[in-house]
Amino acid sequence: MEFTGLSTDQAPPISAPFRFFLTAPLFGVLAGVFVLLSDSTILMSRYSIDSIVVTHAMTIGFLAFMMLGSITQMLPVLAGAKIPKVHFVATTSHALLTVGTLFMLIGLVRGNYFLEYVAFFCLGIGFMIILTALVIALKGVVNYTPTVRGIATSVFFAFFIVFMGLYLLLSHMIKDISIAHTIVANVHSVWAIFGFVGTLIIGVSFQVLPMFYVAPKFKSFCKQKVIWLISAGLLLWLFLSFFYEEYSIVAKIWIAIFFLAFATAVWLKLNRRRRPVSDVTVWYWRSASLFLILGTFLWIFDEYFKHEYIVMVAILIGGFILSIMIGMVYKIVPFLVWFHLNASGYMNIPNINEMINKNLARTQFLFFIAALIGFVFAFYMPAVLNYSAVSFIISMALLEYNIVSPVLIYRRVKKTKPDFDMSSLKQ
Amino acid sequence: MNSIQEYLTQSHDKCDELFAMTEERASTSLQSAKEVCAEFIAETERHFQMEERVMFVAFENKTGMTQGPTAMMRHEHTQMRTLMQQMQEALAAENKDKFFGFSETLMMLIQQHNMKEEQMLYPMAQQHLSEDSQKIVEMMHSMISQ
Repeated sequence: MEFTGLSTDQAPPISAPFRFFLTAPLFGVLAGVFVLLSDSTILMSRYSIDSIVVTHAMTIGFLAFMMLGSITQMLPVLAGAKIPKVHFVATTSHALLTVGTLFMLIGLVRGNYFLEYVAFFCLGIGFMIILTALVIALKGVVNYTPTVRGIATSVFFAFFIVFMGLYLLLSHMIKDISIAHTIVANVHSVWAIFGFVGTLIIGVSFQVLPMFYVAPKFKSFCKQKVIWLISAGLLLWLFLSFFYEEYSIVAKIWIAIFFLAFATAVWLKLNRRRRPVSDVTVWYWRSASLFLILGTFLWIFDEYFKHEYIVMVAILIGGFILSIMIGMVYKIVPFLVWFHLNASGYMNIPNINEMINKNLARTQFLFFIAALIGFVFAFYMPAVLNYSAVSFIISMALLEYNIVSPVLIYRRVKKTKPDFDMSSLKQ
Repeated sequence: MNSIQEYLTQSHDKCDELFAMTEERASTSLQSAKEVCAEFIAETERHFQMEERVMFVAFENKTGMTQGPTAMMRHEHTQMRTLMQQMQEALAAENKDKFFGFSETLMMLIQQHNMKEEQMLYPMAQQHLSEDSQKIVEMMHSMISQ
């Protein structure tokens, strides 16, 4: 048996997760700019090019980057898993995914075949490199805890949604839009949200929420069964969508029930947490819970209105996912900076509360919430859309600043060497 | 009697409980947190020593790995000891911002440390030391913290 995750040498270098964290908010800014340049009536249609561009600036550019960055960091800690050649995997996949996402977005906007073609390969190879590395790491895990199962399930769905995404991009490029295109697009989006992102969030929450806030633990039934039940729901939904569309609501309700239960559990557990601290990360857990409750309700409700509200569902569920991701980044980034510096022997360094300006983090939260509420209302009042987009851009720019600040502290300490540096002993 | 894994995990929970109480008190007044903070630090120190003086030693003797996971865990214990000391200094200086800054840092450090122990090291230790498990738990239980 190995103890790969317990060795500092095998823990990922700080640059591995950070390159993803630092890039993600920039795509968030870009998504906001795309909204500004677009028009509410066009964005109301989920299949318009503008909607697809905005969605993917957020889903690949922001969410996938945040998730890949955090999985790279968390797998060794949560599972003792060693990601093979982690530096190579992180740098190459990050570069390919950045170029791929940018080219895809610009290619779609401009209808440029060449850019889309490059994007197709960059995204395909970029995702395959990192996902394969994660599979190899997960194969070596000895103790398959519920959280590791959540991560593994998420990676499983990731492969499918990447292949479906590539198929959709290709069929768009060669202008071969069949009936299957819409069905695949639908599966791609639902599996991405609930399969790829949802299972990861739930799996990690089992561990993180009780630990960081000294909140009550999740019940054993939840930890053992919920990921499987959600996965079964998603497979059932796939089957029904293809063959018995009129009954697909059954699977939708199945999936929604577990996410509603999760959202409620998060809210109640936070109420019963033992730690009195109420920082911005707690606010984000709260907003995530509320967005998820509203989003899943509307997702079911939308079925009876011929998918009239699907864009609003996407905004609300997007609000849930973004809240979780941003909250997590506020916890993880200062800690990693502190941990890596301290492990190198630097003792005179700021503690993790001193790395990000609390007021700026709160301001970022407020702009984010204002933007999300604005986007929902823009559904009825198109004039609100531009203000919301600006608010969103500000929130993403502030987030970038709040992530850059600890990174600058890291660089400054490494450069000025305020006290004895143990890392020099290793060489 | 519990297994090594159960015994030490319960000890983590006890420390978490005392940590939460310390923060709870400190949010009202730092003065009122001093006693429970000292209790938390004593309990955590006892936990460290149960590992460093009993379980880690047994594990290292059995597996021959002295520079492996136990060395890493010992290193993190040192990091935590420094933070606990800084927390106490902040309490003495009545500096609330500093206190909560250190407590937050310590909390993150403890939790990621506990995750590694509970999910990797303890199951491994239980497996390698299964024959002596009872004896090791008893030794840890009766150990007097230094």
